[in-house]
Amino acid sequence: MSATTTIAPATAAARAEGISKFYGTGDATIAALKDVSVSLDAGMFTAIMGPSGSGKSTLLHMLAGLDRPTSGEVFLGDTQITSLNDKALTLLRRDQIGFIFQSFNLLPTMSAAENIVLPIRIAGRKPDDIWVKSIVDKLGLADRLSHRPTELSGGQQQRVAAARALASRPQIVFADEPTGALDSASGTELLGFLRKAVKELGQTVVMVTHDPTAASYADRVLFLADGHVVDEMFEPTADAVLDFMKHLGA
Amino acid sequence: MFTATLRGMLAHKVRLALTVASIALGVAFLAGTLVLTDTMRLAFDQLFGKVSAGTDAVVRAEAAYSQSEGISTSRAPIPASVLTQVRQADGVRTAEGSVSGYALLTDNSGRAVLTSGGAPTMGYSLPADPALRGDVKLLTGAAPSGAHQVAIDATSAEEHHIALGSTIKVLFRGPTQEFTVVGTVGFGGEKNLGGTTGAYFDSATAQQVLGAPGLFDSISVSADPGVAPADLAQKINTVLPDGAEAVTGATVVKESADAVNKDLKVVTVMFMIFAGIALFVGSFIIWNTFTMTITQRSREIALLRAIGATRRQVNRSLVLEALLLGLVASAVGIGLGLLVAKGLNLLMGAVGFSLPSTSMQVEPRTIVVSLLVGTVVTVLAALVPAHRATKVLPVEALREAVPGAGNPTKKRVISGAVVTVIGLTGLFMTLYADLSMKLFGPSLLAIIVGVLMLLPAAARPLASLIGVPLRMRGLPGELARQNAMRNPRRTSSTAAALMVGLTLVVSMGVFASSLKASFGDIIGDSTNAALFVTPSSSQGPGFSPEAIKAVQGVSGVDKVSASGWGQARFNGADSSYSAVDPATATAGLNLRLSAGSVSDLGTTGIVVAQSAATTHGWKVGDSIGTEFAETGKHTMKIVGIYDSKGWISDDFVISIAAQTAAAGPQLINSGLVTLLPGADRSTVQKAITAALADHPDAKVLDRKGFEKEAGGFIDKLLTFVTVMLLLAVIIALLGIVNTLVLSVFERTRELGLLRAVGMTRAQVRAMVRWESVVISLIGALSGAALGIGLGLALSQALADEGIKAISIPGLQVALYVVLAAVAGVLAAVGPARSAAKVDVLKAVVAD
Repeated sequence: MSATTTIAPATAAARAEGISKFYGTGDATIAALKDVSVSLDAGMFTAIMGPSGSGKSTLLHMLAGLDRPTSGEVFLGDTQITSLNDKALTLLRRDQIGFIFQSFNLLPTMSAAENIVLPIRIAGRKPDDIWVKSIVDKLGLADRLSHRPTELSGGQQQRVAAARALASRPQIVFADEPTGALDSASGTELLGFLRKAVKELGQTVVMVTHDPTAASYADRVLFLADGHVVDEMFEPTADAVLDFMKHLGA
Repeated sequence: MFTATLRGMLAHKVRLALTVASIALGVAFLAGTLVLTDTMRLAFDQLFGKVSAGTDAVVRAEAAYSQSEGISTSRAPIPASVLTQVRQADGVRTAEGSVSGYALLTDNSGRAVLTSGGAPTMGYSLPADPALRGDVKLLTGAAPSGAHQVAIDATSAEEHHIALGSTIKVLFRGPTQEFTVVGTVGFGGEKNLGGTTGAYFDSATAQQVLGAPGLFDSISVSADPGVAPADLAQKINTVLPDGAEAVTGATVVKESADAVNKDLKVVTVMFMIFAGIALFVGSFIIWNTFTMTITQRSREIALLRAIGATRRQVNRSLVLEALLLGLVASAVGIGLGLLVAKGLNLLMGAVGFSLPSTSMQVEPRTIVVSLLVGTVVTVLAALVPAHRATKVLPVEALREAVPGAGNPTKKRVISGAVVTVIGLTGLFMTLYADLSMKLFGPSLLAIIVGVLMLLPAAARPLASLIGVPLRMRGLPGELARQNAMRNPRRTSSTAAALMVGLTLVVSMGVFASSLKASFGDIIGDSTNAALFVTPSSSQGPGFSPEAIKAVQGVSGVDKVSASGWGQARFNGADSSYSAVDPATATAGLNLRLSAGSVSDLGTTGIVVAQSAATTHGWKVGDSIGTEFAETGKHTMKIVGIYDSKGWISDDFVISIAAQTAAAGPQLINSGLVTLLPGADRSTVQKAITAALADHPDAKVLDRKGFEKEAGGFIDKLLTFVTVMLLLAVIIALLGIVNTLVLSVFERTRELGLLRAVGMTRAQVRAMVRWESVVISLIGALSGAALGIGLGLALSQALADEGIKAISIPGLQVALYVVLAAVAGVLAAVGPARSAAKVDVLKAVVAD
């Protein structure tokens, strides 16, 4: 039950300390997270798994500054983000965090290239062209840059989102079921890229998924059930994850 | 289906409120117009009815013909001897002669009691028999008796503190006289007669000062008990000499009321045009709302289709929605209409057209017409979008709906271009070729419609262009520009409403500005007068010839050239004419005669305009048949042909002497003053001002002052028209709010994504704001451009009437555009706030 990792602030890209999240009030209160403490190491690919309602997405939202815990604290690097106001939090998301969502990741009015540099442009900065080009090449998007999202396949759209997530060299990339809406070939391609980003570029990636195969691309898998972190696994394989999930009763 | 319709409407309260408001405002204008004109009509009817109550029959001179315009037909007076004959007729209880005419009251310190908006200042004989006074009642004091007594209307007495017993001067066509005020007069419940002033004298005095001794304008008769008015009139007719007739009192009332109603009709039509513009602009918003709702609800519609709703049912549901919306909005509009009626009345008063009032008249017709028009406009505007909804396929319920970009079709662009080109061709043909000017209006309309059709195609490039400076505002600016470009149909129909409003406002501005600029030229070209004697109240009916006499006596004055105005029939057609004094006309006026001479006018000569001469093939020496209502047919000889493009612009010019002979003595409209060599203008002006102290119905202006006064009148009219059109502009702004609200709603997920990847709330607000500014500027700039074009065309069309100068009020137009941009910012306040409040999680997490 209490197999949480020891907190290691020096190398943690993000960590949560005793965070709980309750929805509703009174008798109708639902606890999505109950006193969760996790530490996510820099330069690692972490997957968060769990059955529906386990609180895995809620945890990701807390860590990414998209939502606030009812109690407890969240740190991004050494910054305590729980008490930041909306503006500071927004700027933090813009500059330090990359996002890949399950669907509707891109602005329909902008080309792929424009979508990739969106957060940088929001910040009013100039993108690092060499860096962006290297990411685009890695994702095989070079000949798709002028296309609008509607002219791209689901897999291509998700790769554009991945490129956007990495373009501003964020401290950490959060991916919420990134392969949920993709066919398996596209999913594999995207996961391969995330893996590469971690291995070759030293990027920290945290991904929520319910797919054991997807989880097997991670360095470490955190298992959530019923609002608690129940276990973890390093160097996971798809079979091992699947077995564990069966054991959890998912 | 009905429940689904109702629920769908109530689910979007803001949209509902804005759409209702946009229709309701237009309907309110319509209802307000109807209420106001009904009220005015009733007020006038009551007025005339009251005044002549108790008079069973009226004896008057037969008119040569009844005039088609004006308050009432002017008639020749009848001799007093007829009164004796009438009194002897069967069934006559009592009969009295009545006289009325120009009489201007002055207050205790000799200042004129002026009316606003040129309402007449009148003098009347007060019947000795109270039964013949109708509702004209003495409120205080006694009836006037003798040559030195007057009773005045209660409003003048109160507002100018004229107490009973005080002595005041009263100005007439003839010499001014002094009277003691012995009573005040009211009219039923009113203290004045529709904004006019009244001076009442006894019969003999009235003849003396208003008409001529021994003559009456008409004779009022009261019947013996039991004699019906019609019988009475018939009986009197048997004793009357030729040229006189007896009619019932009711006939006279009806004639007066009809004359006023004709004038009111003009007012009604004018307001209806503005109401129509407001409704037209409102229909764009309805169109937009329905198009957007249907895009947003396409999944819902597809679902309904998937579970078995037929196309017809979908269509009917949407039309039903429009019908409900139209009914509710029209009902709200009728309520607002009462306020509008009051507002319009105030506005009319503010620009100097005060009207009599009574309690607000909401006739069933007003309610029916308003409901019908509001509902029909709404349903019509919703028909096309509703038809489009039926094309939603059931399978779309299963797809992720991406709101369509809706590019304008090629067909629409081509037909828009064709309509515009036809309009432009028509415009140039009417202006520069021989195409009839009757096609001028339709050509303008074709241009506006054509541009409206082209706007969707132009919206994207325009948004792109206008948005260029926004790039400097970083990504929010760039996104705003893209958002404005992404759905050109929506952007254009939102901007179109503003465009229509601005086109009209700006074209009126350009026209008025050209008119003002030309005015100086017209004066300069056609008169060399140094000073101008004009009526004290700028829209007044004129002033007494006595004032001209007074000015002539001022030292330094060379000549005073008086001119008057009237209406008569020339060659069988009603026309206005000018009357000049041949002895002085050439001194002050430059009539630019191409043939003949003004000095030959005499009492039977006439000068005609070149254009009329060309049309009829007239030349000097020809005769023209004329007919005056007062005196019937005369034959006049053409003594000159002039260009009719200056100070005097009527088709016909006769001498004042001829006018007096044919139509009785009339007021003077203006006097052009030329100075003796060496006389100092400002010294003479001061001297004239002093001389006019006894003639407060006239004043003297130098040329600058005169131009300013004329310009001031144009400005007043322009303000009035602009205020009327403002409503259309306000509706257009509501449309922008509406579009933004819907766009924000539609882009919830996008906004959430932007917020997730780091766009701050302030940036989101800025983005919505700039989009709003881009849309308003598309409307404002295209409206300004079109308005300038149409204004110039309008000025050009009237070049023959003397509008030769072209002037574009650049500053004013720029101000409108800036105001439109500011209004765009204001329109965006609410939508921007709700965009910034978008819940990031709900928006980005897949549902």
